[in-house]
Amino acid sequence: MGLLSILRKLKSAPDQEVRILLLGLDNAGKTTLLKQLASEDISHITPTQGFNIKSVQSQGFKLNVWDIGGQRKIRPYWRNYFENTDILIYVIDSADRKRFEETGQELAELLEEEKLSCVPVLIFANKQDLLTAAPASEIAEGLNLHTIRDRVWQIQSCSALTGEGVQDGMNWVCKNVNAKKK
Amino acid sequence: MKLKSLLLRYYPPGIMLEYETNGELKTKSIDLLELDPSTDVGALVEEIQKAEPLITASRAEKVRLLVQRLQAKLEQNSKHIFCLVKVLRAHILPLTNVALNKSGSCFITGSYDRMCKVWDTRSGEQLHTLEGHRNVVYTIAFNNPYGDKIATGSFDKTCKLWSAETGECYHTFRGHTAEIVCLSFNPQSTLVATGSMDTTAKLWDIQSGEEVFTLTGHLAEIISLSFDTSGSRIITGSFDHTVIVWDTSTARKVHTLIGHCAEISSSVFNWDCSLILTGSMDKTCMLWDATNGKCIATLTGHDDEILDSCFDYAGKLFATASADGTARVYCTATRKCISKLEGHEGEISKISFNPQGNRLLTGSSDKTARIWDAHTGECLQVLEGHVDEIFSCTFNYKGNIVITGSKDNTCRIWC
Repeated sequence: MGLLSILRKLKSAPDQEVRILLLGLDNAGKTTLLKQLASEDISHITPTQGFNIKSVQSQGFKLNVWDIGGQRKIRPYWRNYFENTDILIYVIDSADRKRFEETGQELAELLEEEKLSCVPVLIFANKQDLLTAAPASEIAEGLNLHTIRDRVWQIQSCSALTGEGVQDGMNWVCKNVNAKKK
Repeated sequence: MKLKSLLLRYYPPGIMLEYETNGELKTKSIDLLELDPSTDVGALVEEIQKAEPLITASRAEKVRLLVQRLQAKLEQNSKHIFCLVKVLRAHILPLTNVALNKSGSCFITGSYDRMCKVWDTRSGEQLHTLEGHRNVVYTIAFNNPYGDKIATGSFDKTCKLWSAETGECYHTFRGHTAEIVCLSFNPQSTLVATGSMDTTAKLWDIQSGEEVFTLTGHLAEIISLSFDTSGSRIITGSFDHTVIVWDTSTARKVHTLIGHCAEISSSVFNWDCSLILTGSMDKTCMLWDATNGKCIATLTGHDDEILDSCFDYAGKLFATASADGTARVYCTATRKCISKLEGHEGEISKISFNPQGNRLLTGSSDKTARIWDAHTGECLQVLEGHVDEIFSCTFNYKGNIVITGSKDNTCRIWC
């Protein structure tokens, strides 16, 4: 990667490149999702202390996905990465009901950010492989997603571990990038 | 004209003459860029005497001793083995760049956590935290050789000037409309130049804090800039595939170096400012005549993008680092590749010579930095320990300290 490649990914992307920001609380499964997207080994994933960037080809687009660490103390730095974001993907641990309020709060704050205004948001209701996982519909309701009116949004249940639902989510991403970039 | 004193400059080797003329004290330098450990000192002193009237027969012996000192300095620390002395959990987010002051007594780190920190090299103690930027601190510099000021350039579009001694912020330079990604003090330490993703570079007055000039002309992001040795010209390298040479006193374009067919990754002058070396994503590097802006040579051979390039202090050699995981060393005079540095298991994003010019330091995405013999290409040391890729690495002026900064949020001191 190197600093220079980061600068190249920073500039406003050409038409066929999409800048995707992957956010969510710690342990939501962002890095696992990133690695699943890049078809990489997901057996040894540690908490992200900074960020990871991967580029994946999908439906004629080059998706530059930025996975940003979600621990509380580094959340104030999320805004370092807002510039030129085409799509926001917000990942939720559907089995961690204790933190639904916290994750809802963080999402609400993101949707208030000026630099992310009108940016389409995909919410992954992750960890559906766990028996205790709340269904996407319940999360949508709990987070009042239906009140989002200033942008297109979608909630998609998935398991970053098994890969189920991930492609459906990315299809939605490509479709909405299409709409935006055209 | 009366010679008052003789001073030494170790790297690149040179003798400074302080002399008096019409009651005025002046200086000039005798550059000994070709000096190497095998140079015949007697013959060189004779040559100096012939060319420089201030060096009279009575001074010859003194000059001979000085040249021998310079010769010894070129070999100093050449057998040095680097050992890890400190791991600093410097920041809570990845580091960007690191920089040392000239003596090596302290160094600075920039980070995604929006701070720049000043560290004591010997103790590893944190001396100051330079806080105030609202986004990533990407590019940082000391005003060497003085080392009393620090400049920081940020993704928040501003550059700040700080006291290295107290950590006080003297000025915030505002005006760029996008991220600042490269900066440099001029050699006199009267100006700071900043290069930005907004396609412009700006020169700022250190005393007044005012903008002096905006250098407008590039069609895409500026990602590299450097002054020449005198400070009268500056070059900017851009994602628009070109490098522009500017006159710093008028902000006029002197030359546009057109030839690369992809983004520029680095651009530097050699010491005597006769040449410019540029590296590009087009997998080549080019040598240019700095006086007329003409391309002298295109060096091919790398299988992937060139991410960094540099001259040694004297300009005798230059080196390129590539995303293909190798680096190459070239002789400036012949433009022949004299060695290939093979061994890294990932792209090499940083390369620099030690001031003596016999060693190279590379930093890679394989999480290691390596020390190489510049002439044979042999890997002498692998500096291992970082747990994520290395974003920056640098030698001090004596060539016996290395600082590495990593995406793993730490920096390491190797002595």
